[in-house]
Amino acid sequence: MATEKSLNAPGVQKEGPIRSFLRATELDTRILGMVGALLLIWCTFDILSGLVRPNDGLLGGSFLTPRNLWTLLVQTSSIAVMATGMVLVIVMRQIDLSVGSMLSMLAVAGAVVQVFQLGPWLGVGHPVIWIAGVVTCLIFGTLVGAFNGVLTAYLQIPSFIVTLGGLIAYSGIAFLLASGVTIAPMDRTFDIIGGGVPQSWLGPFWSWLLALLACGLIVLALINGRKQRRKFNFPLRPIWAEVALAAIGAVAVLGTTAVVNSYAWPFMLIKQYAQAHGVTIPPGVQNNDGDAICMAGDQVVRCTEGLIYYTGYSLPVLITLAVGAAMTFVATRTKFGRYIYAIGGNPEAAELAGINTRMVTVKVFALMGFLVGLSAIISSARLDAATNALGQSNELYVIAATVIGGTSLAGGVGTVYGALLGALLMQSIQSGMQLLNLPAAFQNIVVGTVLVLAVFVDQVYRRRVK
Amino acid sequence: MRKALFLAAIMLATTSNYALASGKLIAVSWKTFQEERWKTDEAAIKAVVEAAGDKYISTDAQNSAQKQAADIEGLIAQKPDVIIVVAYDSDGILPSIKAIKDAGIKAISYDVQFEDPDSLYITFDNVGVGRLMAKTMLAHGKKEGNFAFIKGDKGDPNATFLFSGIQEVLKPEIDSGKIKVVCDTFTDGWKPDNAQKNMEQCLTANNNKVDAVISENDGMASGVVAALTAQGLAGSVPVTGQDGDKAALNRVALGTQLVSVWKDSRILGKEAGMAAVALADGKPVSSLKGVSTFSSGKKGVKMNAILLQPDPITKANLEDVIKAGWVTKAEVCAGVKAGAVKACD
Amino acid sequence: MTAPLVEMRNISVSFGGIKAVDNVTVDLYPGEVVGLLGHNGAGKSTLIKVLSGAYKRDGGTILINGEEVDINNPRDAKGYGIETIYQALALADNVDAASNLFLGRELMTKWGTLDDVAMEAAARKVMGRLNPNFRRFKEPAKSLSGGQRQSVAIARAILFNARILIMDEPTAALGPQETRMVADLIQELKRQGIGIFLIDHDIHTVMELCDRASVMKNGQLVGTVKVDEVTDDDILGMIILGKKPEKVA
Repeated sequence: MATEKSLNAPGVQKEGPIRSFLRATELDTRILGMVGALLLIWCTFDILSGLVRPNDGLLGGSFLTPRNLWTLLVQTSSIAVMATGMVLVIVMRQIDLSVGSMLSMLAVAGAVVQVFQLGPWLGVGHPVIWIAGVVTCLIFGTLVGAFNGVLTAYLQIPSFIVTLGGLIAYSGIAFLLASGVTIAPMDRTFDIIGGGVPQSWLGPFWSWLLALLACGLIVLALINGRKQRRKFNFPLRPIWAEVALAAIGAVAVLGTTAVVNSYAWPFMLIKQYAQAHGVTIPPGVQNNDGDAICMAGDQVVRCTEGLIYYTGYSLPVLITLAVGAAMTFVATRTKFGRYIYAIGGNPEAAELAGINTRMVTVKVFALMGFLVGLSAIISSARLDAATNALGQSNELYVIAATVIGGTSLAGGVGTVYGALLGALLMQSIQSGMQLLNLPAAFQNIVVGTVLVLAVFVDQVYRRRVK
Repeated sequence: MRKALFLAAIMLATTSNYALASGKLIAVSWKTFQEERWKTDEAAIKAVVEAAGDKYISTDAQNSAQKQAADIEGLIAQKPDVIIVVAYDSDGILPSIKAIKDAGIKAISYDVQFEDPDSLYITFDNVGVGRLMAKTMLAHGKKEGNFAFIKGDKGDPNATFLFSGIQEVLKPEIDSGKIKVVCDTFTDGWKPDNAQKNMEQCLTANNNKVDAVISENDGMASGVVAALTAQGLAGSVPVTGQDGDKAALNRVALGTQLVSVWKDSRILGKEAGMAAVALADGKPVSSLKGVSTFSSGKKGVKMNAILLQPDPITKANLEDVIKAGWVTKAEVCAGVKAGAVKACD
Repeated sequence: MTAPLVEMRNISVSFGGIKAVDNVTVDLYPGEVVGLLGHNGAGKSTLIKVLSGAYKRDGGTILINGEEVDINNPRDAKGYGIETIYQALALADNVDAASNLFLGRELMTKWGTLDDVAMEAAARKVMGRLNPNFRRFKEPAKSLSGGQRQSVAIARAILFNARILIMDEPTAALGPQETRMVADLIQELKRQGIGIFLIDHDIHTVMELCDRASVMKNGQLVGTVKVDEVTDDDILGMIILGKKPEKVA
């Protein structure tokens, strides 16, 4: 085919197999680098934690166990959700320093509505309560974000100042809303969003189904893209590259699913569930290393074979993945997303091209606010409490995750999936160090160093590519 | 003109009348009113002072060492008999304390210690809080097994005070091997979500083989309990805390937290008010009830101190906080099954 | 004679008390190129930005095809078929050529998403006419040469069937060959009946490409002359001395 020939033009022939593979598949090498770094960090922590206390991780430690990886994903979700919005903010050459304080404020507001106002009025557990809590966080968040945006876009106050003011002021409002007390417990249904209770676990069946659906979508997208390009006679990727892309996508999706599907419910929860639902527990031999439960005489004990449930994906992780997909769509497939990147590349050119840059700015901040609301829901549901300490200094982690994920503070450049990986990388370091029982001070030093290092490596990479 | 003079005369008469009845002026320099609890302290002090017929004045340093120094100068100029100081910076305040003493005024160090040998220090016994947590754990929770320590912020001396109290009680058990410390972490900013992550990793690293958790306050306990709940362990692993948070007292009633050590700031305020009135009347420090010598501060300065014993609130004495009006029964007993807890029936 | 395509009557623009444009009147007919000349700061760019909607006028009226119109922002201007090619090469550096071409007027699929493939196809078509050697449709604009960027900017203007084209120093960043290409393009656009305002420093470019020239100095219009009726020196005199040559006055 003539179009494929152009890919194998002179000059391309001299490439090694890796380079030609990367060129043909058009994979983002920066992201590959990040994935490599992530795997390296994971292995290192698994080995180190194994030296402290041997466990059944892949390399003999506690890090590469389904349980730890499952927990890691849940722990990442709140920061990751906000990072997807921060990408767009930073791409547009703005910044939002207020997300941490805003999260406190929204979480406390949502909790006040649930626990102080509707709880006593409707009676604890009324279905309206959790819906009202969710809606409060999302709408209030969107409005506050839009307010930040209006001050930035229409009153021309630099967003650094607007949101620095927000950082200080919103934490004050968070305090006033509940006069500084911890509000707990949250509504039982609301807690499901946090991923800490069995109702928020999808289970292996639905997890596999969802994974297959995702694989199908990947293949469909590749086929559709190829069809479109053929329609206009554009250069096509070689078939083997398309297959490789589909394979990589499928392995990532199915691998993640296999991991979350092999994390068993905690022993106590299986027991409670079985007793509450009248499930018969099979007899068996006690083995304290097993994840299943069985009856040894009239005692419920741990054993390798018996009654067992697996968690699968938990709700906050699903929310994060859905947000990641939706935000990638917004960033790459919509006018709104295209305008954000154009504004980041050259604000004047965007304005002259007829883009209403002010309106786009307001919308981006409003979207950021909405995502902060979502994170507020996830983190307060996960903690089963809301306090004004929740979310404090999260802005730093969100911005760090975004920047580690390859978003340039100069604007115009950044990807949503990069930010998700950045958030995962940072949480990996923190969780790993907590696993090693290292003090928080060390964690801060390492995370700070990684941030600077990541940006440095990225710049070296960019210079070499040029 | 005459009318104004007349009014002024009446005002003068009333104030001097008031002054005659007591003759004493009690001043307080607060470090902040941004946290709600200080308003509770103030109400308690003011009630005692005014009941004795004395006059109460106060300033708010708004979390600034400079403002507090200026505040104290201003208070000295009004010639009070006693100045109670809640220091923002326990070292930076010392020149101001010297100025107070130079003016012949008595100083009381309230809640936050400044090390001045001539002043009276009134506080809850923070080392004692740690001791009480550990003692309650041994008496009503677990006596042996794998213990996790979720400590507060590394930069806060109270976290260390607390821990020394905890250590004091548990050390023999740890030395004898009955108690094994499996996790021991400081928590950045005392943040509940950090405590939750720390606890999650602790459980992961130990395959859930954790028998008891010593959390240094109630906020972090909420994170610890959330982590335990996700593993189905809440209620079977005892957790400590302090502050008497409403949510924590609710957890105590529900059985997911063993104890919340409660420092009733109204009692602290009342004690300080009574001490101030007595000192203003010229009574010697040694005549006050509960005075002891305290020298466990940073520099080890010997000073007179009134150390109040905090109150460990467990399921057994929940009615204390309800009777004291600290929380309502509805708040404490939300979601508690009938017959499970005495205080809720 | 047909009605003018554009009439800008008695336009004034002030920036903080300084009159950048003071009571200037210019007009433009279909298929005509009108040059705007003057020193830096003479007010040419300001005047033209009023027409393209980047600046708001403080006084005066704008007529398109004899009808008074209100232009408050670039979107309004585009609505009247006014397209602008800016001196500063107004491209978003981080997005590719096809996206820059359609910036603000993206083609959408029936699902309401960006139709990048269709946009790339259209871009290839129009660029094939303008600059047949252009291949770098999927690379960010910052990797393009000055001439390539200029051809993208011009392609953007003609892609949407502009009736009125404003070119602010279109050849400033270009080599001789690319300059030639732009000149040919202008001739082509003239034949299509498009009216062009051409701002340039270079008198020779103006003398070669324009039908008429309006000269500005210190924010005021010195005068408008037919290029055939004057010499280079006449125009130089207008620019430097602010005096209209006597034979046409």
